[in-house]
Amino acid sequence: MDDEKRTKFRKALRSVKNLPTLPEIVIKLSKMAEDPDTTTDQMGKVISKDHILASKLLKLVNSAFYGFPQRISSISSAIILLGFNVIKSLIISASIFEFMEDQDLELWEHSLGCAVVSSVLAKRLGVSEPEEISTAGLIHDIGKVAIKMELPEEFEKIHGLVRKQGISTLEAEREILGLDHAEVGGWLTKSWNLPTKLIEPIVCHHDPRISKNEQIASSIVHFSNIVIRGWGYGHADDIWVPPLNKRAWTILGLAPEDLDHIIEETEEKLWDVKGFSLDIRSQLKESA
Amino acid sequence: MQEILSAQANEGMVLAKNVATPEGRVLCGKGTILAATMIDRFQKMDIMRIVVEGHPVEVKGEKSLKEELQDMEERFSRVKDTPPLMYLMKRLMKKKVEYRGP
Repeated sequence: MDDEKRTKFRKALRSVKNLPTLPEIVIKLSKMAEDPDTTTDQMGKVISKDHILASKLLKLVNSAFYGFPQRISSISSAIILLGFNVIKSLIISASIFEFMEDQDLELWEHSLGCAVVSSVLAKRLGVSEPEEISTAGLIHDIGKVAIKMELPEEFEKIHGLVRKQGISTLEAEREILGLDHAEVGGWLTKSWNLPTKLIEPIVCHHDPRISKNEQIASSIVHFSNIVIRGWGYGHADDIWVPPLNKRAWTILGLAPEDLDHIIEETEEKLWDVKGFSLDIRSQLKESA
Repeated sequence: MQEILSAQANEGMVLAKNVATPEGRVLCGKGTILAATMIDRFQKMDIMRIVVEGHPVEVKGEKSLKEELQDMEERFSRVKDTPPLMYLMKRLMKKKVEYRGP
């Protein structure tokens, strides 16, 4: 039965009819990126043609979770600083989160918050390419958005079950769908050809043990999700801080003073992010 | 720390964050004790929100510190057997108290 259920929902989610398809611009840019002769200037020009997208991108790039000391004012410098994979994920996020800002501001704030903690933690641990890890933090719950959009009835059932039985969203998803949002997020990001460094932390954010190649990145997003939920930026009726995976904790090897530092840094940046989502709120009101 | 409307600002409140123009020019630094002339200036320059020390403005329907701490305990209630997360909770509570503090 479970297998049958799984296959059915898997099929529905894979067709992703309602999710914004990978914006055409990403396909075009991916082709450009494969060509060694393409310059970042040329790519920047393609993005800049879409003014709304370009301004959203710059806003994301300049937001607190990347924390660049200077304002990045052009798309081409953003590509140089962040790398194409991050820009690509941000273009995808900008289109998908448009829906979230509008309908699920709580999940958007949780995602922004998780990106902030991931960024602080990645920098504290001195890992390479912290921007990719914060981006993974930003889109770690993208599977939840897909479930909400593609399977609205089941989505309601999942949340009904969370309320009724006091279980986590993850458990309720497995019960109703035979699969969970982490797995769904994995399919989506794979279908968008994102790199393993972005895919694995999404698939493994509830169980970093299953991460094969990106154990540190997965452990960072796993723990960041715990911290931000503890802080009070959670989602819906599942209010509880999820369990900490022992292995992930060992991999991170954090001392109490690291935690103190992470809390201080995160608090500072959350203020900026709060301003960021207030901006979005007022823009929404203006456009309504 | 509390974010308030500049219309709610009063003389004697202490800035917890720099007040800057939308272009990023700092008008008044963190730690400044507000005087009436500054508050006037913020309003004239269309600065809507400022962040001040403590929690001087009562917001209707807002949770009390005690309720916020209870909520936090409830959120961590299923990970009581995980020492690092209990440490995390204590630090976050301390932060919350400082944040709402005098």
